[in-house]
Amino acid sequence: MNYFLIIVLVIVVLWLLSTYNFFVSSIARIKASVQEIGNQLKRQMDLIPNLEASVKGYLKHEKGIFDELTNARKAVAGAVKSGNLQEMADAGSKFASLLPKIQVVVESTPELKASSVVENLMDELRDTADKIMYARRLLIDLTADFNVKRVSVPANIVAKIFNIAEQPGLITQSKDTKTPKIDL
Amino acid sequence: MQNIYEVQSANKIKSAIIVAFFVVFVALAVYIISQALGIYLGYQPGGLGLVGLAFIISGLMSYVSYYFSDKIVLAISGATPANRKEYFDFYTVAENLAIGSGLPKPKLYVIPDSAPNAFATGRDPKHAVICATQGLLVKLNRTELEGVIAHEMTHVRNYDTRLQSVVAVMVGLIALLGDWLLRASFFGGRSRDRDEGDSGVIILVLGIIFAILSPIIAQLIQLAISRRREFMADAGSVAITKQPDGLISALKKISADTEVLEVANKATAHLYIVSPFKGKKYGSARPEHRGIGWFSNLFNTHPPIEERIKALYDMS
Repeated sequence: MNYFLIIVLVIVVLWLLSTYNFFVSSIARIKASVQEIGNQLKRQMDLIPNLEASVKGYLKHEKGIFDELTNARKAVAGAVKSGNLQEMADAGSKFASLLPKIQVVVESTPELKASSVVENLMDELRDTADKIMYARRLLIDLTADFNVKRVSVPANIVAKIFNIAEQPGLITQSKDTKTPKIDL
Repeated sequence: MQNIYEVQSANKIKSAIIVAFFVVFVALAVYIISQALGIYLGYQPGGLGLVGLAFIISGLMSYVSYYFSDKIVLAISGATPANRKEYFDFYTVAENLAIGSGLPKPKLYVIPDSAPNAFATGRDPKHAVICATQGLLVKLNRTELEGVIAHEMTHVRNYDTRLQSVVAVMVGLIALLGDWLLRASFFGGRSRDRDEGDSGVIILVLGIIFAILSPIIAQLIQLAISRRREFMADAGSVAITKQPDGLISALKKISADTEVLEVANKATAHLYIVSPFKGKKYGSARPEHRGIGWFSNLFNTHPPIEERIKALYDMS
């Protein structure tokens, strides 16, 4: 009987430890994933001027797009500097909404479509937008896992004992979820 | 209709059941064979020393293949490292999915073969290798490629190569023990002079039956584990990319392709995303062939493509 009690106790303690560790390590991973979003936005910011320079000759008459790109870059730069997660995410999605516009211009201009430089630009732009999308998604997945575990039985006991707070994650603003408008 | 998280946890449970069944079966077979072997070799039941010996031998063999598996497999398939410039989509997609799944970026290799296929290897996520054929990179678009690479990333994250090598040690252990028992019975044991009693005879007969059958059964369970892991990797791929369509159309394209991957052989077949042996048609859709299809399914490393696609459609 005594042995039985000891075994049960050991199992409970092990479970307690592993659950607590899950919460603590999740918080660390969530923090890291926020930094990753910032990283990718920075990378995007550094990339845009190079890309602009390499295709400017081809896209002379599409000056409007460059202005918008520059604005988006400034927004990203400001957001990264401020370190505010929400601002960073907004700036990222602002940039992502530019992509279809550029796509339309490229598709409608045959000599642009044929140019390997522009093709390269499109690939790089798509890739950098994808990277930010996946960085955001990791944060979303991690916070979802964390918050689900926090409230489900029996892990919620551990969360209550150690007073573990809900992780806010990314709040999608209404303008984020709207379909991007494309001016032709 | 299940959502992707339910599919994933259902898969995990099924996989755990098969693995547990495998462990129980191996323990039983090892026990019975070793008892019989103990009687044959002339000492009393409980010849666990031999089990230890067999375990060490098969463990050593698998350890080598496990630790160097990535290098061996890459050498066999003649793969070369992929760089960002030449294989832009492959490289960046893998980079992005590594971000999305929170894993370190795997090493990337390309096999110079026009048959579309891909596999993952390496003992843990830090030493992971993802390998794609040139045909795959040419024939799939970026979205389809994302599905395939995410499937391979899930194999990496689930430690499938590690599980397979542990299972391989077990299968090797049973095969070795069974082999020893059969050999011993051919040469005739010394213990026949002694009076063994009824229980001894029963154990001997059981032992021989197990020695003959259990390597086959163990291998069948090993293949069942392999098939279950494929379903898991498909579900995990959707969990990362959130779009089943990419993987569905990739699987369709890969399975519709008639080219045969020349560098694949039986030893590396279970690694690929789609079984490289397409010549052997399995899982026939016609009812009169269903029995045969079911039977030949037992010997496949991969579930039939139609079943995988159906499971993916259910998620979308």
